Amino acid sequence: MDIFWKTIALYNSGTWIYQLIILLIGCTVTVALIIKPTRWTKWAIKFYILLLYLWISIIYYYIYCDARNYNGIMALFWGVMAIIWIWDMISGYTTFERTRKYDKLSYFLLVMPFCYPLISLARGLSFPEMTSPVMPCSVVTFTIGLLLLHSKKVNIFLVLFLCHWSLIGLTKTYFFHIPEDFLLASASIPALYLFFREYFLSNLKTETKPKVKYINWLLILVCGILGIVLISTLLLELGPVK
Amino acid sequence: MTTDDSFNSVCDFIAEYAAHLMGVGVHTSRVVRNSKRIGEAFGVKVQMCAFYNNIMISITDDETHEIYNKVIGISSHSISFEHNSELSALSWEIYDYHLPLNTIKEKYRKIVEAPRIHPLFVLLLVGFANASFCRLFDGDGISMAIVFSATLIGLYLKQQMLAKHINSFIVFIVSAFVASLAASVSLIFKDTTSSTAIATSVLYLVPGVPLINGMIDIVEGHVLIGFSRLTEAALLIMCIAIGLSFTLIMVKNSLI
Amino acid sequence: MMTILNVIFDGLFAAIAGIGFGAISDPPLRAFKMIAILSALGHACRYCLMHFLGFDIATASLFGAIAIGFGSMWFGKKVYCPLTVLYIPALLPMIPGKFAYNMVFSLLMSLQTVKEPGMLNKYMEAFFSNTLVTCTVVFMLAIGATLPILLFPKITFSITRHKNKF
Repeated sequence: MDIFWKTIALYNSGTWIYQLIILLIGCTVTVALIIKPTRWTKWAIKFYILLLYLWISIIYYYIYCDARNYNGIMALFWGVMAIIWIWDMISGYTTFERTRKYDKLSYFLLVMPFCYPLISLARGLSFPEMTSPVMPCSVVTFTIGLLLLHSKKVNIFLVLFLCHWSLIGLTKTYFFHIPEDFLLASASIPALYLFFREYFLSNLKTETKPKVKYINWLLILVCGILGIVLISTLLLELGPVK
Repeated sequence: MTTDDSFNSVCDFIAEYAAHLMGVGVHTSRVVRNSKRIGEAFGVKVQMCAFYNNIMISITDDETHEIYNKVIGISSHSISFEHNSELSALSWEIYDYHLPLNTIKEKYRKIVEAPRIHPLFVLLLVGFANASFCRLFDGDGISMAIVFSATLIGLYLKQQMLAKHINSFIVFIVSAFVASLAASVSLIFKDTTSSTAIATSVLYLVPGVPLINGMIDIVEGHVLIGFSRLTEAALLIMCIAIGLSFTLIMVKNSLI
Repeated sequence: MMTILNVIFDGLFAAIAGIGFGAISDPPLRAFKMIAILSALGHACRYCLMHFLGFDIATASLFGAIAIGFGSMWFGKKVYCPLTVLYIPALLPMIPGKFAYNMVFSLLMSLQTVKEPGMLNKYMEAFFSNTLVTCTVVFMLAIGATLPILLFPKITFSITRHKNKF
């Protein structure tokens, strides 16, 4: 618990200048992609995300979180996600085509990384022992937002990884008392539903086994259960502080 | 022959039928019995000999003493219980009502071309299954949730890799590794039953169908193909163990 | 009261597991209900035998599997499904996953501790006992569920017949 916040403080004070640079590049690339989606900007955003994941994997987990247990596994986990992006760049799987169906939710998610430090400040934390925009959870929200904005063809495997991460984030809020992560968990549940529906259940021409209706219900059931878990964790967290 | 259809076309159909049944994971004596039953309906005698990759089939016409011989390859379909039960029912229908070959072929095609169970449906159900499996081994709620999502990751990877026709042993190693890696993230929480989570996260891969079919085949006297099936199952289980041990090597110190 | 609840929960989770493992093998939709009932029945049977009558896991699994085997004969007639379609998914929740995992783990650890005889013995012992349990239980499961096919071959092979002649 103490170690958790100490490593974050170490990370923030050691790298705040680089974090700022990453943030600026990220804003530029994202805005460029949204305004002018050319081949180059699409390539640039993939490259940017790849570097970002490697940063989280190596700099954040492997170097700065050395004091925590099992930082190697986390580094590997993010390394695997970076490999997925390398595969994506080679095969050109994610096309970043807009559907404009879920714009509001996605813009909300894209702004979220900036909300992380604000919430930390509002909770009475101060620099450097606070969350920052270049941390695993804010990176996950950013990626989910970006993918949801361009949800025509997304890499579901990556989405599953991101959702796995937000599930862990949810558990982490319970163990380490980081209410900021509720943002992530509450955003990823509708995103998960939308991604799956878009990927599996749109443009089905032939009949399926079982009927689409039932598959959709099952999907809603899964999201509903996740939602109940989320709310109950929230209540536990907001309850009497020990 | 008791119908007007040509001997060869009837025999071709029986050979195709038998090979398809073997491919979708039916134990050998049922395949033999179903094929013989269809042959009986047409007034021909079917003898067959099944191996893991091929079937040798020999069909004799009782009246003209004409003989049809064929070695037919079993293209490895994925397992389908639906085909198993529908095609078995079809064989009884042919036997009881003496349908003409055209109708039979029509029905056969309808069964074979019917949509398979939807991958998303499988994905979610298997996620729930593994999570409740975790509960059966005394895992707690957090482990269940992590196993659920680790299973989704692993199974999705397996589905995608199998669709790309990658060697199934490699598929099993990789998906066992990824699923157990995803489950081992639960180690960061001290109070959970993380070893149970890691143990159950790979169980969706267990090849139950070849395992039990192999056992049935051996017991019923088809020893060769029974052992081939058991060998396949054993190799797949070994692949799961290899994938799992990649993860275990990394986290072993915390599991002792 | 608690014990009854435990048995019910055991059956419930086994049912969910059975449905999921069945779904991998693309069963007919009408079979799902029967698979759920069978796996709940088998697993709850094993649970009761182990917890109340003190059976060991292999014997209890054998009886659970026999229950599943005969149950699938009865249910198979109702939904016109061959026995294997119903009992393979129903058996899977009884696979001793924890023992199989310990088997892999202790094998790995004994390879790591080859140079320390004390540790090596401990892990070799664990490997042997876990392998023994895993293999025996899987064998018992297969044998138990196959019993009806061996005892009543006539009935089990005409189970998908819609027209009842006899």
